[in-house]
Amino acid sequence: MNPPRCRTWFRTLLVQASFNYERMIGVGWAFAIEPLLRTLPGGVGGERYLKAMRRATQFFNSHPYMAGMAIGAVAKAEHEGLPDETIRRLRHALIGPLGSVGDRLIWAGTLPVSVAAGLIVTARVSPIAGALTLLVMYNGVHFAIRSWALHAGWTEGKQVSRALTAKGIQRGLRVLGPLAALLAGLALPVLGSWLSSGFSVGAQSSMVAVAVVALMFSWWVVPTFGGLRFGLAAAAIALAVGGIW
Amino acid sequence: MNTELAVLLIWGTVVGLDLVSVAQTMIARPLVAGTVAGLILGDPVAGATVGVILELFALDVMPVGAVRYPDYGVGTVAAAATAAHAPGAIGTGIAVCVGLAVAYLGEHSIRLIRNWNTNDVQRLKKKLDEGDPHVIVRIHLRGLIRDALRSFGLTAIGLLMALAVYRWFPVALPGTVLVTVVVMGAALGAAAGGIVHAVGRGPGLRWFAVGLTLGVIWVVIA
Repeated sequence: MNPPRCRTWFRTLLVQASFNYERMIGVGWAFAIEPLLRTLPGGVGGERYLKAMRRATQFFNSHPYMAGMAIGAVAKAEHEGLPDETIRRLRHALIGPLGSVGDRLIWAGTLPVSVAAGLIVTARVSPIAGALTLLVMYNGVHFAIRSWALHAGWTEGKQVSRALTAKGIQRGLRVLGPLAALLAGLALPVLGSWLSSGFSVGAQSSMVAVAVVALMFSWWVVPTFGGLRFGLAAAAIALAVGGIW
Repeated sequence: MNTELAVLLIWGTVVGLDLVSVAQTMIARPLVAGTVAGLILGDPVAGATVGVILELFALDVMPVGAVRYPDYGVGTVAAAATAAHAPGAIGTGIAVCVGLAVAYLGEHSIRLIRNWNTNDVQRLKKKLDEGDPHVIVRIHLRGLIRDALRSFGLTAIGLLMALAVYRWFPVALPGTVLVTVVVMGAALGAAAGGIVHAVGRGPGLRWFAVGLTLGVIWVVIA
């Protein structure tokens, strides 16, 4: 990677630092693309640089790891001197696909797979091994995707959509979802057993009963309530009952 | 003790930053945050136990788009500080309650700093639309500093809560085991609910059922 791309790569790690409800990660996106725009004809402060920066600060949102792909593609388009409207459309058109692919690949795939593996290793081997498993599995994919995204964007330019349909990505999307569901299912009984070891059979049965109520509550009764609020409510009731007891 | 608290404060700040603003390397996941906090406090098992329980709660959340999510990482640091050196599983339930409360506060603190960032963008809209790189850097750094201060403040609140529980809560209270059992059950249920929501009713649900069955067999055999 040449120095401007290297600088941009590091800046993409901070792309969400100024997240706001008006332009989402737009300002962070502009912060990250800026090193790649310095070498435009006219240099920093030149007409093309300022025009590109004006476009860069507008609304943008996508999966943060995939934002580099849009950054690379738009920077390449700026260097190629494509018409303003084409660059604006390219930037806008990438928002949906990069969000969708990133969310499925990372949040619904790599993250639950790594977390479930980490939890199983914690219960079966040791907590430190579990935490390391999570970090190594997740970040292996995480940093590979960040680097690939910026590289693919810069290489493909306005044809960047080809990178999203690459075989590896499509295979990842097909495999990771079911794998996450399988591993998460596997992890739950293993963890239940690990957490409740040392408790009486009555306490273990009560734990399973609370788990079933929580599942039914989140599935059928109030799906938008969320685990945190259910946990807080259940803990408050248990604290009150425990206090009286 | 003071050195441990200072290191925990730094760790909590780093964890809070990792959640959204910096890199997202998942050191903010409760399993990692709790295990490290436990190691700092010399009680890695307690840290990992509260980390696992809060990790199950965190599985319920998918951080897509502009969704608001609880700050489970900092919550886990506070929970680990509460659970460390408490006798057996008695302190675990209370510690997780502290963690959940801090995570809830964290959710609102994230919304607050996003609102402040939005105000910055609206106030400096003209210069931003001119593409002024200095304004971009200024807004961005302010967002970063705000998140660092948020993480630091939230960790400090969490540690104060942990100290308060440690000092004034009757650890031998009859019923603390009940609290522990309830939060562990709620965590397992929340995780299952979150996964079911995420996978939908298609083939993903079947894979989840297969995993669940294999997990039960594994537990029975082992």
